[in-house]
This record gives sequence, structure tokens and C-alpha cells, in this order.
Amino acid sequence: MKKQKLPSTHVSCQGACAARLPFILWTMVFVAIPLLYILCMSFMKKAATWGILAEFSLDSYQKLFDPVYVKVFGQSMWLAFLTTVFTLLIGYPFAYFTSKLPPKWRSLVLLLIIVPFWTNSLVRIYGWMILLRSQGVINSLLIMLGIIDSPLKLLYNFGAVLVGMVYALIPFMILSVYNSIAKLDPALVEASRDLGASRWRAFWTVTVPMTRAGIMAGCVLVFIPSVGLFFVSDLLGGAKTMLLGNLIKNELLTARNWPMGAALSIVMMTMTMIVIGIYKKVSGEKSLEGIV
Amino acid sequence: MKNSKKWIAAVLAAIMVLTLGMTGCSPKEEKVLNIFTWADYFPADILEEFTQETGIKVNYSTFESNEEMLMKLESGGEYDLVLASDYIIDIARGENLLAKLDKEQIPNFANIDPGFQGKFYDEENEYTVPYAAGIPLIIYNPEMTDLDIKGYEDLWDSSLADSIVIMDDARNVIGITLKTMGESFNVTDAAVLEQAKEKLLQLKPNIRALDYSTPYNLMISGETAVGYMFTSQIITCLNENPNLKVVYPEEGLGFGIDSCFVPETAPHKDNAFAFLNFILDGERSARISDQIFYISCNTAAADYLENKVLSISSEMIEGAEFIKDVGEATEIYDSIWSEFKLN
Repeated sequence: MKKQKLPSTHVSCQGACAARLPFILWTMVFVAIPLLYILCMSFMKKAATWGILAEFSLDSYQKLFDPVYVKVFGQSMWLAFLTTVFTLLIGYPFAYFTSKLPPKWRSLVLLLIIVPFWTNSLVRIYGWMILLRSQGVINSLLIMLGIIDSPLKLLYNFGAVLVGMVYALIPFMILSVYNSIAKLDPALVEASRDLGASRWRAFWTVTVPMTRAGIMAGCVLVFIPSVGLFFVSDLLGGAKTMLLGNLIKNELLTARNWPMGAALSIVMMTMTMIVIGIYKKVSGEKSLEGIV
Repeated sequence: MKNSKKWIAAVLAAIMVLTLGMTGCSPKEEKVLNIFTWADYFPADILEEFTQETGIKVNYSTFESNEEMLMKLESGGEYDLVLASDYIIDIARGENLLAKLDKEQIPNFANIDPGFQGKFYDEENEYTVPYAAGIPLIIYNPEMTDLDIKGYEDLWDSSLADSIVIMDDARNVIGITLKTMGESFNVTDAAVLEQAKEKLLQLKPNIRALDYSTPYNLMISGETAVGYMFTSQIITCLNENPNLKVVYPEEGLGFGIDSCFVPETAPHKDNAFAFLNFILDGERSARISDQIFYISCNTAAADYLENKVLSISSEMIEGAEFIKDVGEATEIYDSIWSEFKLN
């Protein structure tokens, strides 16, 4: 649809080359050039009140080592790490048992995992706020049952942020792991059982290694977005924590320090590439097929 | 191509981002007015009435923040009328983006309360029409605290641990900290700001949440005992729970005016002047204030206002201080804010 916007090319080029040209142009205009623009901007200076000065400067990159920024990185990484661990701990067994269900139930369960995606994630996070707040569903229920006297402070803390992150990202983990478990040949597990392995041993030595690609893909799919999902920490954490996503937004809009925002974006992209690099190395996948 | 899906996704995302900047463009028809402001800031019934009376079609584009507005205006967005905050208008004027108003086309200009005119961003009243004024105030729930709150200093009281919602805004919150120290909202001296930082960090244990756009939810639902928020949000709280108490902090008020201006590049300037004259009419201006809950800047509106509290005398705001652009010091404010959040 969007392709129609591109000017038709008059370059005489044969077959595959001609077919590829609009795509290359498109990628250049909409991906490569903006990225280059961000890269250049990150080496410039902030103007006093508004805009940027076209002077070369490493100020932004130097400022990255400021303890405040290092702490933001640390906090983002820690939250992303915990989110990944919890989604894996919950998602793997979920996917495993789903794959053992009769086909009819299996498709229903998978459908139920995908359905919430049709609603905006912001709206779903507001749902959590209604559950967790002082006069919310959980507190009212606990008070009604006489378990507690005064409402628990469930909202606006790190725990609430973690719950929201795990909730928002767990479908990525379940679907990736499910794919690789579904591909696993049950005969392999049966063989190990025939050879005397216990259920646990068969699971750890056959099922888990055979589904490693799915686990890795799930981890990458959860880890990378969790660095940037700043609205979860804003809404459930009361904006009291600052993640990399918040920081970039802040630098661009509030502090009006565009070079700094650009430098942070470059660092974030580099980190993403490192994570994908590790994934490729560990999983042995040449392409990103497991992820895409 | 194995990873083509990923490319397509990335490219589509890039297109989305790029086209965001183009939403303000419109065909150059005669009877069109392109308005650019926050969502819902001009009430829908006023816009409809304007179209009915004049036949001028209104295109309403929105922005999330003042900075976003200026970025789009600078990158060639064609808007006829922009409504934004004082400090950003000051910056935009410095960048020569404002057109002078043709007051002959705006006879209702005389309705504007002089108390809201001649401010730092438009000393000669050549470029702007004040639309709404806001003063952030403290509100508290007497059922949840025994404290008799008088000013900002009381927010530091140890009895308020984990029970304050405060606006998620560096300038305002660092500003009230400066006020408790007897300083101005617009301090640029790094040493004073350093002291303010130390004091601000002590406030953190009392903060339950930071919220810029919906802090009233936390006051209404009883999540927090005390809040510091804009006038309109205070009124929303009071409408839901009349028992809440409002405090005009004794250390001094912060103050802001949102004003309309016509960009130099506006394709339909006459339509914009017609619209300004239309909304400056006393009765309509009162209807606007009663819907947006901001303080009225229109003397002719006073008699028509249902919420009389929205009409205040110029004397009351005399001591209030504008939050102005602090230039280079913006970075210090922002770094204090980051540290406050991370602490």
C-alpha cells in the first residue's frame, strides 16, 4: 500500500534487480537515512534554548558515564533481566502443558493467549491498576474475607512494575517456546524413557536442550522490548523509576537535549544488537528465523 | 529473504514516525482553519458553533507536549492557530515564528483581563491571546492526615510517608523545593540548585506516585492523602469529593498562562483572527472555562461563569511567579529530576 507512494523508477534493470529496487530505495529512505541522522545528531551539540548546533562534540557520549545515567542503565537491565527470568519460569511450563493438550483445547488456549493482543496494551495495564489499587478488586476482596484490615499498598512499587512487564510480554515467551516444543519429536523422549531415564532426566536431557532455540528466541523477544516499555513503569510504578525508555523520552522532550537522546538511542540499539549477537552465537542460528 | 518480515516491520514503523509530522498539512482551501493544540483543549461545541456560523471548516491537530509543538512548527507544519504554554511561546517568538495579530479583526480583544497581559513572552500584547491560566495547588484529604497543611514545606512532614501524589514535572517540583528555601522558581545558580537537590531527595520517601495528567485519580480513589497538581485537576478532585481541602501554599504560587498565537507561516491568518474574536466573546469564553476548568482570562466572561472560582482578581495572582525558560540550567534541572527518580 505504502509502496505506491514511491516514484516509479526509470532505471533499466533486469528481472530480480528491478524488482528489488523499490525495496532498496524504501529501506534507504525510511531506515538507513533516519538512523544515519540519529548517529550524526549524537555527535553534535545542544543549542542554548532550542535545537542543535552543527559542531562535532563527544559531550553526549562522555555524559553517558555520569553515575545517574549508569544507574538508569543498571535499573533497566535489572528489570529486563527479572522480566525475562519470570516469563521463562511461567511461560515454559505453560507452553509445555499446552502442547500436551488435545488438539481442540490446544488451539483454544493459544487463541486465548493471542486475543488480548487485539486490545491496546495501555488499556490492559489500566486493568491492572483497577485490580491493584487501595480500593481495588484485590484489596476489597481481602478485606471482605477478613484476611486484612487495611488495604495493602500493592500499586506504585517495583513489584507492580514487574507484574505488569511479565504480563505484557509473556505471550512472546509462550508462543516461541510452544513452537519449538510442538516441533519436538515425542519419539525422542520415549526413547530416553525406554533406555531408563526418569521423567525428570528425560525432560532435562532431551526436551530442554531440543527446545533451546525456542527458549533463546523467547528470551530475546522479551528482553529487548522490556528495556523500552516505559509506560508500564509510569503507570504501575508511579513514574518513580526511570528506565532507558523514559530517559530517552525525557532528553528529547523535557530537557530538549536532542544529541543526548540520540546518543542514548545509539547505545540502546548497540545493546540490542549485542543481545541478538549472543542469541545467534548460543543458539547456533545463522539467521534470525527463530525470532521473526 | 529470511528476515524480510523484520525489515518490513522496521520500515513500516519508520513510515509511521515520519508521517506523524505531516498530519498538520492540509489542502489550501479558503474556508479552513488548522488548529494545533492539546487534545480536547478547545471544547467540541465551540468548534462546531464556529463552523456553523462562519462556514469555516476546522482541522484539529494535537500534540502531547509544548516541545513537540515547536518541533513540528519548525519543521514546516502548516498551522493557522496554535495554543501552547507561555515559556514555549517565548522561545518560538525568539525563533521568529509568530505573526503579529491584526487587532482590527479582533474587536473582542478588549475583553481580555489586563492582569493576564503584558507578560514576559509578549510584553506589548502584539502576538498572543491568553486562553487559560493555571496555578498548581496542594489538595489534601483531612480523613487521611491530621496535618493542617499550609504550604509546600508541609509535604516534607514525616507523617506523610508514601502518601503524596505530585506532578511528574521537573520544573514545578524542583520549583516548590526552591520556594521552601525562599528562592525563586527560576533559579539558574548551580550551587543553589545543588542545595535544592539535597532537599528534594528527602521528599522521595513521601512520594507514592508521580503523575502529570491524571493525579486526581489517586486523590479520588483514596490512594494518596495529599496531592500537588494543576487547578483543573484540583477542580476534578473537588467535584468527586467535596471534603478535600485546597491549599494556596503560603510560600508563593507558581503560575502559567496558555495562550493562542498565529504562526508566521499560517496559510489562513484571517480565519485564525476570526476564530480568536469568536472565542473572546464573553458568553462563549465562559462556556469554554466551565468546560476546561482553567482560570478565565476574560473580564466579559465573569458574569456568565457557572464555576465562579474560575474568575479570580488580578491582585490574587500578583505575587505568583511564572515558570520561565532557564536556558542552560535546564540540563541541571533535568539531571536533578533523574536523580530524584532513581533515588
